[in-house]
Amino acid sequence: MDSVATVPLSERPEWSDVVPLTQDDGPNPVVPIAYKEDFRETMDYFRAIYNADERSPRALRLTEEALRLNSGNYTVWHFRRLVLEELEHDLYEEMNFIESIAEDNSKNYQLWHHRRWVADKLGPEVAGKELDFTRRVLSLDAKHYHAWSHRQWALQALGGWENELDYCHELLEADVFNNSAWNQRYYVITRSPFLGGLEAMRESEVSYTVKAILANPGNESSWRYLKALYKDGTKSWISDPSVSSVCLKVLSRTDCFHGFALSTLLDLLCDGLRPTNEHRDSVKALAGEEPETNLANLVCTVLCRVDPIRANYWAWRKSKITVAI
Amino acid sequence: MSETVVHGEAIEWSEEEEEDSDDSEEEYTSPSQPLSSANFDKDRHLVYLQMMYELLPYHYQSQEINRLTLAHFIICGLHFLGATDRVDKDEVANWVLSFQAFPSNRASLKKGEFYGFYGSRSSQFPIDENGDLTHNNSHLASTYCALAILKVTGHDLATIDSESLLLSMKNLQQDDGSFMPIHTGGETDLRFVYCAAAISEMLGDWSGMDKEKAKNYILNCQSYDGGFGLIPGSESHGGGTYCAIASLRLMGFIGVDLLSNDSSSSILDPSLLLNWSLQRQASDGGFQGRTNKQSDTCYAFWIGAVLKLIGGDAFIDKVALRQFLLSCQSKYGGFSKFPGALPDLYHSYYGYTAFSLLEEPELSPLCPELGLPLLTSLGICKGGGGNHQKS
Repeated sequence: MDSVATVPLSERPEWSDVVPLTQDDGPNPVVPIAYKEDFRETMDYFRAIYNADERSPRALRLTEEALRLNSGNYTVWHFRRLVLEELEHDLYEEMNFIESIAEDNSKNYQLWHHRRWVADKLGPEVAGKELDFTRRVLSLDAKHYHAWSHRQWALQALGGWENELDYCHELLEADVFNNSAWNQRYYVITRSPFLGGLEAMRESEVSYTVKAILANPGNESSWRYLKALYKDGTKSWISDPSVSSVCLKVLSRTDCFHGFALSTLLDLLCDGLRPTNEHRDSVKALAGEEPETNLANLVCTVLCRVDPIRANYWAWRKSKITVAI
Repeated sequence: MSETVVHGEAIEWSEEEEEDSDDSEEEYTSPSQPLSSANFDKDRHLVYLQMMYELLPYHYQSQEINRLTLAHFIICGLHFLGATDRVDKDEVANWVLSFQAFPSNRASLKKGEFYGFYGSRSSQFPIDENGDLTHNNSHLASTYCALAILKVTGHDLATIDSESLLLSMKNLQQDDGSFMPIHTGGETDLRFVYCAAAISEMLGDWSGMDKEKAKNYILNCQSYDGGFGLIPGSESHGGGTYCAIASLRLMGFIGVDLLSNDSSSSILDPSLLLNWSLQRQASDGGFQGRTNKQSDTCYAFWIGAVLKLIGGDAFIDKVALRQFLLSCQSKYGGFSKFPGALPDLYHSYYGYTAFSLLEEPELSPLCPELGLPLLTSLGICKGGGGNHQKS
């Protein structure tokens, strides 16, 4: 905002013809708010302009002042859209405005709804702009929920899928624990028109994920993603040697968390995997003196120990085991 | 939430907009917060809520549009603390009712507008000379909050014009089953499906929504890891998962026996959902809203209530969760999002609901699907939800 914002609206000649419309809080307001004077005044002028439906350049400027004070006010955003349409305002300029509001606080649904409205009007020619904008927001907060939702919408509605898998890789290189980036990766491999779908991508994705797991066996995100690659394909989930072998590799190490490897192995066993001696030996090595003969039961026993915050859950899983292995 | 609704995230709506507060910045965070006590400090919470009831500090002016939501946190929070005598019920009821929008006649119901409750006084305008509303800014989340306050303070909801409210609520449901929050346009996601379901439940009338369509939308939001994102394709999120499961329960599509049933007959994947939800309890004892994120007070409710609704709450490490929540309890009353931050209304309210889930003796029991105190005499959670619809 420039310096004009510091002059009260009531002292600006431009607004001298407008009578502010004060809000009527009634005689017994519940949970009153201690509004600051500039807030009260700005909203009263906004109410006057809105009530008179004045779709003018100064109305547009007033919505900006109101949004800088409460960017979650959906009424102000809505009226701004009416004014933008009436004035046939330059929507590229509006994108810059949105970005300047986002610099203060981008965690607000209304701002992103407005952005979508603008981008939707401009169409596929702004696909790259939307990907750039969200990339900038995500560079400050790589798990920004609104930015990810907008990015997914932009990909679907405007296009720009070509480099999205590379982008996911770039973010995972920076932080392999970024679950939002894993989610986006899944979104891309299942929905991109260029990649052929989950089945076509499975082999290369499994190998990518196995590497990530071996680098950080305590990362829940990569284990979840590995299982997702076999969604609707239980048969290949239990028959693909890549899955049980990554479990075995992790279990054979002594320097890392075993919980996700054990939990994955338990799922495999419950889904019908026939365990080998190697599976049995690797779990027994962790179990110590436990006299358990059923491998799935034994996995649960070890999980109770390595993941004590969920010990009741693993004990319950044990009670539900129906496979005799 | 809001995620500044949730607060940040959802509360914009309480659950809603500020929900995401999980990520939102709290502008008044301070690292110098004194250490919390070892017990739930009811007296300090009463002082905190009563102060807020009398006058909200100016920090809340940026959330002015959600004033009914703020009122909901305070008034329903006082009820959790058993302090119903601290508010003037008639005064509160009259105040809430003054936010309801009415159509001038039945014909105007067909114009596509929603006639519910406004979020705040600033979005309310005098009616014109023909008796028409020139600016109808009714909002689904505000309507949920308004009905919640009325219900909790014992107001008879039968006196409300629920017919125009529900008939016009249909205007907000989209072809894909989701809901817009307001007829002038807005983002559609699970938060507003939940609001619509909770409104229908509180009014005891399901004629204002297509439950089958809503169910299909919800199921499309279940992610590969078992949790639910706010929209199809988005990352699993504690607030989204709550909205999904609570809505399915309210609509009668799932019951308390979800885990004991044969999962192949279920409409969703309950074992993956259970696993995902339990995995959200982090090593510090608190619940995180998403995988590999920091624990946050409000998710003790969002995820804890999901676990309660699917019959998995016995698996929560309650001692560890309690410790985490106490570390977020402020010396001044209320709860903060993270240990050591200053309290805010959104996290305070979900701190109370979380302690209620933990069966803290000083708190009213919880109705998990409505996020309100369990008051059977007032018809909150009378039958487990979804079994008494009119339509």
